[in-house]
Amino acid sequence: MAMSKALALFSFLQLCWLTACAPPQTASDGSDFPNRNLTIICPWAAGGGTDRVSRFFADQLEQALGKPTIVTNRTGGGGAVGHSAGATAKPDGHTLLMGTFELSTMHGMGISHLTHEDYEPLLQVNADAAAIIVRSDSPWASVGDLIEAIKAAPGQVKMSGTATGGAWDLARAGFQLAAGLDVKDVLWVPTEGSAPSIVELLGGHIDAVCCSLAEAASQIESGQLRGLAVMAEDRVSGFDGVPTVKEAGIDWVAMGWRGLLVAKDTPAPIVTTLRETLQTIAESDAYLTFMKQNRFGHEVKVGEAFSDFLAAQDAQWQKVIAAAGYAK
Amino acid sequence: MALTELLTLEVLIPWLLSMIFGIFVGATPGLTATMAVALIVPISFNLPANAGLAMIIGVSFTAIFAGDIPATYLRIPGTPASASATLDGHALAQQNRGRFALILNLWCSALGGLLGVAALIFIAPQLATFALKFSNFEYFWLAIFGLSLSAVVSAGHTVKALLAAALGILISTIGIDTSVGTPRFTFDSVALTGGIQFIPVMIGLFGLSEVFRNVLRKSDVSPDAARPAEKVSMLEVWSTMWKRKSTIAKGAVTGTVVGALPGAGADIAAWASYGIAQRTSKEPDTFGKGALDGVVAPTSANNAAVGGAWIPALVFGIPGDAVTAIVLGALMMHHITPGPEIFTHHADAVHSIFTIGLITQVLLLLAGYAGIRAFGAIMRCPRHLIMTGVVIFSIVGAYSLQNRFFDVWIMLGAGLLGFFLDRHGVPLPPLILGLILGPLAEKKLRAGLISSQGNLTDMFTQPICAALVSMLVVIFLGPPLWKIWKSSKA
Repeated sequence: MAMSKALALFSFLQLCWLTACAPPQTASDGSDFPNRNLTIICPWAAGGGTDRVSRFFADQLEQALGKPTIVTNRTGGGGAVGHSAGATAKPDGHTLLMGTFELSTMHGMGISHLTHEDYEPLLQVNADAAAIIVRSDSPWASVGDLIEAIKAAPGQVKMSGTATGGAWDLARAGFQLAAGLDVKDVLWVPTEGSAPSIVELLGGHIDAVCCSLAEAASQIESGQLRGLAVMAEDRVSGFDGVPTVKEAGIDWVAMGWRGLLVAKDTPAPIVTTLRETLQTIAESDAYLTFMKQNRFGHEVKVGEAFSDFLAAQDAQWQKVIAAAGYAK
Repeated sequence: MALTELLTLEVLIPWLLSMIFGIFVGATPGLTATMAVALIVPISFNLPANAGLAMIIGVSFTAIFAGDIPATYLRIPGTPASASATLDGHALAQQNRGRFALILNLWCSALGGLLGVAALIFIAPQLATFALKFSNFEYFWLAIFGLSLSAVVSAGHTVKALLAAALGILISTIGIDTSVGTPRFTFDSVALTGGIQFIPVMIGLFGLSEVFRNVLRKSDVSPDAARPAEKVSMLEVWSTMWKRKSTIAKGAVTGTVVGALPGAGADIAAWASYGIAQRTSKEPDTFGKGALDGVVAPTSANNAAVGGAWIPALVFGIPGDAVTAIVLGALMMHHITPGPEIFTHHADAVHSIFTIGLITQVLLLLAGYAGIRAFGAIMRCPRHLIMTGVVIFSIVGAYSLQNRFFDVWIMLGAGLLGFFLDRHGVPLPPLILGLILGPLAEKKLRAGLISSQGNLTDMFTQPICAALVSMLVVIFLGPPLWKIWKSSKA
């Protein structure tokens, strides 16, 4: 009697175990997508710009698809850790990556083997042009003055914005090449990013910072700093007083971007669903207001257009990396 | 006027809730104050601006204090800024004085916080201008000053302490180097390119190694159950504070100044304050064995540093730490632009921040008492239950930092390392100092040398550098020279 009870209990437990282990039934065509929580991987720290954009999309995606969506910050390795986590995630559309500019450059720098071809790009959600920013009391009134100063004393003008080989270092290196200068004519002092660079600039320890106008918005709006020129096709809305380098005759555009991607081999119907949902969010008034409040540039490219943009970025930056001597 | 707006239920309730949340987050190793603020900011947007600000400021101050609770009771720092409480605070807990140490700690935290906010109110522009003078070499010397404290926090074991510090620096070099982006010791592993995070290491070194030590002990009686309940007289707490008013003042000043430096933070402030207190103490030998000055100094400093970090944030829009970085983003969304004019253009917002900062210190006493009480009750459980809890929280804490299992392995490895080092008499705090300050020293030295184009004289002749170098010399050569001089006179 005791034996059969034990047996019954055992078979019952085994049944529970098997049920628990059985893979959840998922439709391979993605018709039941999403069937569990969604995750957006942010390769940068909590509280930064990329994190804020990621959290906005997580919130909106949760409302649109009805599944809890969380942001996980996978930082480190100059973005390599987070981007790699996005590429190696299960290709079922439940794990999205908020990719950034570094995806176009890190394979050239020898930090990672990943390229944009390791992903299924969904859509670009933001673009911020690089800008050259100086103190309000700087003697330079235009980008022409800066170039003259660099030519007069090569290697003496000190700039910062990121680590050596980081996004804004490459942007200013490309700018110098386009202006007919050598990359080494400016002394690049490595820092951890735009915020510490702005501290160095305000303290008078360096002469200029290369970063986006958004990152220096509070110091520009309070009159401590001034944008000299922006490396964009057109002037940036909200900073209309800052001319483009093109206006000074230098043919150069450098954009930091953010965009959502999923792992390669994600089923096409899921990719389509995500693209359509995300496009609606990215074109909503709520998103426009959010971007405006944060001074981020609103730029949306969906699917093919985003893929073409990524390919063009790759080509542009590999040239600069090689010319700057950073190629590994 | 601002006061009546703040003391309404719709502000006070979220405020206190966020502070209780801060106690929980701060006391849990692996959950940081930054994480708490990042989680609260989205909630705060749905609340009136004042309530949102109160939640953010409240959580940041409480989390820093709460880190000292497990550090004192269990020798496991809840936040990096409370690692120094594992020294004297924990020594006192072992003498059944843990509750007293924590209540003293709480009052000094609130007082330190109050002085930090006072500095923000009265001398913010001056202090911020001073902070801007710090460039690469200045931070380098500050980091060296911090590293030199390895010798201070481990009197009698100088060689072993330096060994531990060197080990910490070595571990910190793993990953992509932050100056020029070269991968070091990564062996083509993506996980290693991110480097070894110091929080999992800290949890393992202190938390897990403590579990191993306890497993080796025979008795299963809880540390506290066998003893009579500790009675704490408030009069004793206040008189202790009065006797140590100069230590509190020194701690608060050190904390405010270090906190106001955008490249440093509460963790460095706590260690610097501990070191200064030990070097200027009449009884330096008691440090590490339960000296009350060793409890008072770091805790007055780390809460003052939280207030100090607001100084460059408001005056120049420069975040002093990750918490103020998040807050600055939130202020910009509310169309408040930080900068020299914020004190005139947005006087209302600034006054709210001031008032919230001050009241938070009072509320901190309430929330802190609750935290100490709750933790004290846990400490009366049988030891095997406590230690099981420590293992669970260590694993969850290490994992939650980055949501990756790799950090759990790091934590386990660090636990074994900590256990091994402890058994051989190697002090653990220098290893943490090496991990935190090694990268700062390296990064700033390299950037400084790039900026000065290899010129070493700037490293010593810049006014602040010269001052820091002479401080190092005085602190380390002063006491022995003074002894020689005195004995030669006698």
